[in-house]
Amino acid sequence: MKLLAMLACVVLVAACTQDKQVSEDTEASPYPPRVYTVNYPLAYFAERIAGDSVQVVFPAPPDVDPAVWSPVAETIADYQQADLVLLNGAGYAGWLQRATLSRSRLVDTSAALADRLIPMNDTVTHSHGPGGDHSHQGMAFTSWLDMEYAAGQARAVFDSLVRLRPENELDYRARLQELEKDLSKLDTRLTVVAERIGDQPLVFSHPVFQYLARAYELNGRSVHWEPHEAPGDDPWRELFELLGTHDAGWMIWEDEPLPDTVSRLEGMGIESLVFRPCGNRPAEGNFLSVMLDNVMALERAFPAPASIEATEM
Amino acid sequence: MGDVLFLAWRYLIYHRLKTAILVASIMLIIYLPVGLNVVVEQSAEHLTARAAATPLLVGAKGSPLELALNSLYFSSEHPELIDYSEATMVADSGLADAIPLYVRFRSRTHPIVGTSLDYFSFHDLSFATGRPMALLGECVVGANVADSLGVKPGDAVISSPESVFNLAGVYPLKMKVSGVLTRAFTPDDDAIFVDVKTAWIIEGLGHGHQDLARAEAAAGVLSRSEENIVANASVVQYNEITEDNVGSFHFHGDLADYPLTAVLVVPRNEKSGVILRGRYADDDATSQIVRPVTVIDELLDTILTIQQFIVAAVIIVGLATIATAALVFMLSLRLRRREIDTMLKIGGSRMRVASMLLAEVVIVVILSSSLAAVLTLVTWRFGPGIIESFVLT
Repeated sequence: MKLLAMLACVVLVAACTQDKQVSEDTEASPYPPRVYTVNYPLAYFAERIAGDSVQVVFPAPPDVDPAVWSPVAETIADYQQADLVLLNGAGYAGWLQRATLSRSRLVDTSAALADRLIPMNDTVTHSHGPGGDHSHQGMAFTSWLDMEYAAGQARAVFDSLVRLRPENELDYRARLQELEKDLSKLDTRLTVVAERIGDQPLVFSHPVFQYLARAYELNGRSVHWEPHEAPGDDPWRELFELLGTHDAGWMIWEDEPLPDTVSRLEGMGIESLVFRPCGNRPAEGNFLSVMLDNVMALERAFPAPASIEATEM
Repeated sequence: MGDVLFLAWRYLIYHRLKTAILVASIMLIIYLPVGLNVVVEQSAEHLTARAAATPLLVGAKGSPLELALNSLYFSSEHPELIDYSEATMVADSGLADAIPLYVRFRSRTHPIVGTSLDYFSFHDLSFATGRPMALLGECVVGANVADSLGVKPGDAVISSPESVFNLAGVYPLKMKVSGVLTRAFTPDDDAIFVDVKTAWIIEGLGHGHQDLARAEAAAGVLSRSEENIVANASVVQYNEITEDNVGSFHFHGDLADYPLTAVLVVPRNEKSGVILRGRYADDDATSQIVRPVTVIDELLDTILTIQQFIVAAVIIVGLATIATAALVFMLSLRLRRREIDTMLKIGGSRMRVASMLLAEVVIVVILSSSLAAVLTLVTWRFGPGIIESFVLT
């Protein structure tokens, strides 16, 4: 009897004990929100607009072209942890098609500019069987070389940062306006020098200047040369054939070419100038200083008549 | 009164086997319907919790039950398919977040759930080891999958072909485990999670192969023009995605047309949910939107009807048991005739003798009821754990 009573008491006590699930209070993170980008221009825009209020991260190694960079899984895991991921759009960063990222944190800075994207007409697609669907045709993606387009991307960056930190909207807006002014000055100088270039045929060393050519009405055709590689016989042959219908006096390079290549081109009557797209973080300076150098290189190559002085920033 | 109870108690203790059988029988009769009710209620609560946590599902028009079961419990039958554009439409509406679901393939008995990262945060799933999938071909496994297959981050699981006899159909894809989920006591424990694009690769909608523009791939080229290269059937497609070949994986056609089994819709607020549901009310719509809790409640109503039949059967059996117990008691009285006569002869009144006999019955009933109550309490307290440990795992 006593045993039964004790057993009943034990069971009653056990039944009355509630497991309390203590919810942990999630404390607000002491660190600023993290904003990841897929290229340096977007990182620059985010840094200019948000300053220290966010942590801007562009994790591509300095010696790779972010357009063709393939981050490892651990780096993609870092992107997954970001509060915001800024995308260039236009198919830039092909690794995005193979990565798993939360859609709600992605911002395509070209979404509102989709009608201004330039398809790459020389992309070779493939299909399986005569009736199969084709793989995707590419889009030109160095959109930030069109300063007006770049300003549009900067505004998209601004909108996304305001959604992230709405309390800083006024500050961000003031900074955006400063950035837009700088981009506008670049746009004006490029427009002026482009007018001096006029219809002169140009050759682009690589098909990355589509937006520059369209925005400033440059008469340019592209070859597929790498600045740090000596072109073989076939590339030279292609250039000769191109010059037959497009007698260019200048080749615009995305980076400093080999001296031998420059010499041989000069022998053909083609001068070289460097216009760096600045897809990755430069060793020195920033996006603005690199674009300024680019503009000045064009201005030196196509100087104003003696009666007009170039305006310095 | 105490002497009556004392005598009754001593009689029951002396005939302890008979007493124990009587107490057990009556206890079971009382406990079975009550305990069953408690278990069914707790099971229903557990089942509906997952449905209640899922605001809305978008799927092809057809059976809402099939849609809910496939999306919430990853049942083997998958509903009609919808296009990925449905998920995009929901997300672009600004009214809700959209989590794509493509639950069609399996790895042995474990469902492969093609979805997005948002699925884990939505269901509050955490990682026991590893991390979420980051690249095509990576997967996250539930706790039960890790236990039954003996896998951990870095190991691999292989998808099962849909049909042994369809050589041209879905072929196995070797997937690298990137993480193992903490046990959640939900169907997620038995599932393998991949990016929805990986699920499309399992189906063969995406693939990787040699670069057909290269000279060494010439044998795989059927025809070539300036804009397009047509591959022939001899092109070997990779059945494992590695760091070396992941760059070659691609999709043909428009991803908006690619298939899903459902879209898990999380409205921003109640008003947004109502607006969204209104958009699917058109009879001409090719897809439907359902509230899973409504669908599961209807299913449980059917199950509870069956429960009522079981309870009715138990009651009938109980009545039979009580009748048998009464018969046992009456037979016992007959056998105790001499004992009763002795008590009367030594001065016990008929009332006291009757009270003693009645006390024996009352004590048995009280004991049985108490034990039944204790068992019911134990079932109520430990039932969820038992359900989770033995039923859900």
